[in-house]
Amino acid sequence: MSVLSRTPFPAAKQRLRTPNDSPLKLFCLLPAAFWYGVFFLLPLIFLLWIGFWRVENYVNVPDFTALNYIEIGENLFARARYGLALLQSLYVALTNMVFAVGFAYLIALALVYAVPERWQRLALLLTIAPFWSSYVLRLYAWQTILSKSGLLNATLGYLGMDALKVDIIYTQIATRIGLIHFLAPILVVIMYVTVRNIDRTLIEAARELGASRWQVFRKVILPLSSFGLALSGSFAVIIALGDTLSPSLLGGGAGSSWLGNIPVFSGMLIADYASSTNLPRTSALATILVLVMVGMLLLGYRLAERARRNISE
Amino acid sequence: MDADRPYDLELRGITKTFGDFMAVDAVDLAVRPGEFVAIMGPSGCGKTTLLRIVAGLEVMTDGRLYIAGKEMTYTPVNKRSTRLVWQNYALFPHLNVFENIAFGLKLTRHDKAEVRRKVETMAELVGMAEFLTRRIGQLSGGQKQRVALARALVTEPDILLLDEPLSALDAHLRLRMQGELRRLQQSLGISFVYVTHNQIEAFSMADRVVVMNQGRIEQLDRPDVIYNYPKTHFVARFVGMNNLFEGSVRAVADGVVAVACPQGDIEVAIGDEWPDVGETVTVVVQADKTRILDGAGGPNRLRAVLRGREYAGSQNIYLFDTADGNEIKVVAQEAIATANARTINAELALGFAAGDASLIGYHRPAAAEALPKAAVG
Repeated sequence: MSVLSRTPFPAAKQRLRTPNDSPLKLFCLLPAAFWYGVFFLLPLIFLLWIGFWRVENYVNVPDFTALNYIEIGENLFARARYGLALLQSLYVALTNMVFAVGFAYLIALALVYAVPERWQRLALLLTIAPFWSSYVLRLYAWQTILSKSGLLNATLGYLGMDALKVDIIYTQIATRIGLIHFLAPILVVIMYVTVRNIDRTLIEAARELGASRWQVFRKVILPLSSFGLALSGSFAVIIALGDTLSPSLLGGGAGSSWLGNIPVFSGMLIADYASSTNLPRTSALATILVLVMVGMLLLGYRLAERARRNISE
Repeated sequence: MDADRPYDLELRGITKTFGDFMAVDAVDLAVRPGEFVAIMGPSGCGKTTLLRIVAGLEVMTDGRLYIAGKEMTYTPVNKRSTRLVWQNYALFPHLNVFENIAFGLKLTRHDKAEVRRKVETMAELVGMAEFLTRRIGQLSGGQKQRVALARALVTEPDILLLDEPLSALDAHLRLRMQGELRRLQQSLGISFVYVTHNQIEAFSMADRVVVMNQGRIEQLDRPDVIYNYPKTHFVARFVGMNNLFEGSVRAVADGVVAVACPQGDIEVAIGDEWPDVGETVTVVVQADKTRILDGAGGPNRLRAVLRGREYAGSQNIYLFDTADGNEIKVVAQEAIATANARTINAELALGFAAGDASLIGYHRPAAAEALPKAAVG
């Protein structure tokens, strides 16, 4: 009998289920589907849709018109000046990102390289402790510190250093202080994990090849932090674009900056919602903000992906 | 070898303690120019710590360190003229092969064309010239090893330190890289200090081998001398496959020492270093010099029970127990049928020639291979 001729196996009647092949898999997806559907997708669709409604005699009428967007487009730099607000938002968010990420990176570097191993967890815990207190409460605290006759200026006056008194409450500088205080704990954790994961042998190897401490930072630690920097950077920008509390409580609504006394886009959006009954226009404005944030997210994602590919083996 | 040149590396009384633990204990070592020295020992014997001290990555508790005749005891790591090849290669994942090799050259003021020329020459030497634009993640283990070597050698160090560089490679590649390392070392004329726990690597590449145990140097000599004449119990047990018999010297005559052992008298032809009568000594004989005596008679005949056997292609390895519980190993070049013919738990006669055995553990005249005395600046 030839070796090649063999009886074929009978056709499979049933499928073998491996341990990771549970029939409950679909069922387990339900909570996630509920979460995405009810709390994310549905409100988003609603928001997008209302943006195309119109207002008739102070009543919102379902429609499919681009009038809201046309009105916003016509008023980018006139009357309500939506465009300027968007610029203010981007300016505050991007500059804030530089300070917030830089600050968090310095703390993370100190935690990993300057704090002894057995104290690191405690130190990290203390660094992120502010995260557990209410954001609004923290902003009110900053108000009492930064206001004209607040804690900071009162202390400076008491010490006879009137020349050093600062007047930053209700400026975008104060907005950034509130934002950084909010962002720092999250960014520190991201940057701590990033720096912590850098192989110490690489640092020793660079030193051994003749690098000074500064050269090790510039040529090894910094490039290997790029993924974490891109990640926390996009995080900082997204949060800053969406936040309305710090711009209103510390920035005072139309906080002054190098661009002028212009509110940030999110703050203006809230004002638009509160002062008018034009819900469709507010929705259109919110849609624009969402699109800008998605754009920023994609940009950050691309940067992070490129960084990840560059530093992974 | 240039007699006027100072040692490439000289260690004097190097000691390192971690708390109560003595990692390196007063190590003296002198590496001649162009010499390949292997430091061998079990894990935790202090060999890697010693290497890290030489590289400047670890602070020594006591001792002095000279590199190419200059004292470097207090020279920081980035100012030393040594280069380390790391066990896991420690290549920079964010840089490509060229940038990795050029790393050390670009740290100071440099001429770009000169750097390129040096990197390309070195890449050629290690056989990586075609891979200069590759990412580190795209390289095989052997290729990473070559890049690591090139990165260290391109900076023209006085001495190259290698920390178990071949341990991550498979057996076949290790054999190839051993040959290449030796060729590289000889063509460049740089001295290598090579740390390994693998005695085959150490013995096949090195001019001299240092056997370390518990932070101390047990023996420092040519590979063949260490293999054939282990000086301490530790070396006799750690190197090769040796049988040890303890006893006391009964008589010394005509270069032959008779040692009274529990298994019977053993005669050892020892040459010109004679122990005193009554001294406690250990007879060392290699497993492949020990034979199973099927006939009657034979020198140094002793009886032992066969406990196990292993067929290893062209040779058989046997394990015996003597009546007093001493373990004896025998390696014989035989066919498998010969091994199968021997019954487990059978009592057999073993023996070895007096000239194949050596003695350790007695008071010797001053060892010839101790630190050579020479002027160091």
